[in-house]
Amino acid sequence: MYILPLALLAVALSWPVPRLMAGFTSFRRAARAALVVWQSIAMAALLAALFTAPVAVPFIVRQQSRITEYLGLVALAGAISGLVLARLLVAAHRVGHNLRIHRKRHRELVDVLAAHGDPQLRVIEHPTPTAYCLPGLSRRVVLSQGTIDRLPADELEAVLAHERAHLAARHDLILEFFSVVYEAVPPFARSDAALREVHLLIEVLADRAAVREVGIVPTARAIVGMAGGPSPAGSIAMGGAASVARVRIGLLEPTRIWGLPVSAASALMYVFAAVLVAMPIMLLSMAFAGFLVT
Amino acid sequence: MPASPRNRLGDLERAVLEHLWAEGPSRPEGLTVRDVHDVVGVQRDLAYTTLMTVLDRMAKKGLVTRERDGRAWRYTAASTRDELTSETMHHALGELAGTERRSVLLHFLDESTPEELDELKAALAELEARAASGSAGGGSGGRRKAP
Ligand SMILES: [Zn+2]
Repeated sequence: MYILPLALLAVALSWPVPRLMAGFTSFRRAARAALVVWQSIAMAALLAALFTAPVAVPFIVRQQSRITEYLGLVALAGAISGLVLARLLVAAHRVGHNLRIHRKRHRELVDVLAAHGDPQLRVIEHPTPTAYCLPGLSRRVVLSQGTIDRLPADELEAVLAHERAHLAARHDLILEFFSVVYEAVPPFARSDAALREVHLLIEVLADRAAVREVGIVPTARAIVGMAGGPSPAGSIAMGGAASVARVRIGLLEPTRIWGLPVSAASALMYVFAAVLVAMPIMLLSMAFAGFLVT
Repeated sequence: MPASPRNRLGDLERAVLEHLWAEGPSRPEGLTVRDVHDVVGVQRDLAYTTLMTVLDRMAKKGLVTRERDGRAWRYTAASTRDELTSETMHHALGELAGTERRSVLLHFLDESTPEELDELKAALAELEARAASGSAGGGSGGRRKAP
């Protein structure tokens, strides 16, 4: 009887666990491992929800005489799996489709507006400091003239290194995965904390790439220089950008986590991530193993 | 710098749009493909049909508008350079506003309270002081323990 543990696992991994994890901010210091743990939580939750129905199959076949007794439970498991799969596919299509349309249009705009010797770099003649990248087949790093005017050369290099790190590591795919999961999950179970945390970790990874390229001080100064920038009219105020920048500055260098060196802590976190993903797979194979033996 | 075909196309579209912007005030009725080709096409040694294709594509993208004038189309820029620039900025920010907000890698841009900015500056000053007293000559990738 593995339906219940799987359902419980799915619920736990989609609701209490992300909230708990987001509270352990020291994990951020091992940014790469933390990102893997977040991915494994989302993946394990999806697998657990998807497996609840298949696991009901051996149960039904073995205990034909008592099917009626558990019909409600089996129906529930089937509904969960079907719903998860349907929502996931719809969300994946919607998110992917919207993203690609938006990026294509944006690429058209920056390409026709802004030229640069570097085929991947675009400069928009606008005083608001902003910098971002357009991932995909023809990738672009976009800077506003306001950014160039505001930052000295080494800090500008840090911004570019940061954006190039996003492009090289395909951080957009990680964000797309989490966006799909977020959209697929029913609104009451969505974890904003998880999404914020993943976003922050990606920033930290790109920041650290910039530190490796241009050094810690220019990178920190670039983060501060851009954080103080004015918000253009009509933009939504997310609030607290400076506080996010402060967190990022504190995470530019890896430091010890709970007394452990980053490498040791990371290793433990990778093991934890592997166990998480293994759990639903184990439960599924145990259900079928028992079925095949008897 | 060798440009990819896609980049060359972007350059051409930009050149066409800049020509339309430049001629717009004196030619409010718009320019024909022939007019554009006589300047942009000749400069770049491009065939008339290339310009025709590019203008057609730009019309579909909404970058230029066109009106029938007898057997030819007359093209005008759909928006001024400033309008297009601010549309681009809003488009970048628009991705932040909707659900796609989570999927865009847009950075370094936001509003903060003065207190938050002060704390941020203090954190930077502390980091600069540590960097100055610490590994001044060593590699930039040195790992330091937390104080
Ligand atoms: Zn970033």
